[in-house]
Amino acid sequence: MTRVLVVLAITASLGGLFLWGLLRGSPDREVESARLNRQVISFDLPLYPRFQGTFGPTLNLATELNDKPVIVNFWATWCGPCYDEAPHLQAAWQRYQDDVLIIGVQTQDRGKRVEGEAFLDRFGITFPNVIDDDSRVSIDYGLFGVPETFFVRRDGTLLYKHTGPITLDKLEEKIAELTAS
Amino acid sequence: MMRRVLLLALIALLAPLPTGFAQTDDTVAMGEQLEARVFEISRKLRCPTCVSESVADSNAGISIEMRNEIQAQLQAGASEAEILAFFQDRYGDWILLEPPRRGIHLVVWWLPGIALAAGVIGLTTLMVRWTRNAQQATHEAQADDADLARVRAALQGDSETSS
Repeated sequence: MTRVLVVLAITASLGGLFLWGLLRGSPDREVESARLNRQVISFDLPLYPRFQGTFGPTLNLATELNDKPVIVNFWATWCGPCYDEAPHLQAAWQRYQDDVLIIGVQTQDRGKRVEGEAFLDRFGITFPNVIDDDSRVSIDYGLFGVPETFFVRRDGTLLYKHTGPITLDKLEEKIAELTAS
Repeated sequence: MMRRVLLLALIALLAPLPTGFAQTDDTVAMGEQLEARVFEISRKLRCPTCVSESVADSNAGISIEMRNEIQAQLQAGASEAEILAFFQDRYGDWILLEPPRRGIHLVVWWLPGIALAAGVIGLTTLMVRWTRNAQQATHEAQADDADLARVRAALQGDSETSS
């Protein structure tokens, strides 16, 4: 009887472990940023021409951080969820542009300028967007995929990383934290 | 005279050829060596956008860019440890396919050994117990004097009947 119970317990444990492995989804996508509460790496990337009148030919993160906290959103034209979140980012920009700077970074999308322009047109994006053609900045930010959004305090440290499409509610919650810090 | 001038001109033309070929061979060999090093290091890194694939095995855009970064750093004179630290600094320990031998990661290194030892001890204990039980059962099944006497009597009866 004891032997049967031991065999049953081992089988149940292994079965439970197997089921947990199957049902736990894609936890790798939710890995916390290695840069959390540390200084993010600055970048200096070329801007889409439509934003150059305000910011110049390139946008430097370190320079912009002198002024206000920054939200860095990584996107690509082939990424479906990026289309879902773009209107939320534009809405947040219209409401909070005096408090934070939102920067769009087109990444992992080499050479897709025309498609990038079409993306910006489609959602009437008015916050600055830069081009990370060789994905170097996406490596610097430890990107797992797109979209990902980074909330950077004025002192250059990372407050929060959001994986996947972001909503206006989440943006407002984190903007409140950014401006309070 | 003319023939000698032509011969000298021909020698002058052909002379640089072996050196040129040697330089090309060296460049190719260096390129192959560099490529091998890039793949050797990228095999130790996990592709960020794939499932259970190394940067060396993946053709995802980010993996290609990571291999380019490794190549650039190797050409700049960085060591393997420096390159792995560069990616670890950006992605955390997650990016390393072989977990570092420190902290909580030690569990990954020690657990197989502990599990194996526990398995061996468990099996040995079970086998000893089963053998002992079997011996005890055999011992308990041994015939007593009365049984033996009955068997002897029965055998004796059989032999008398047959004679």
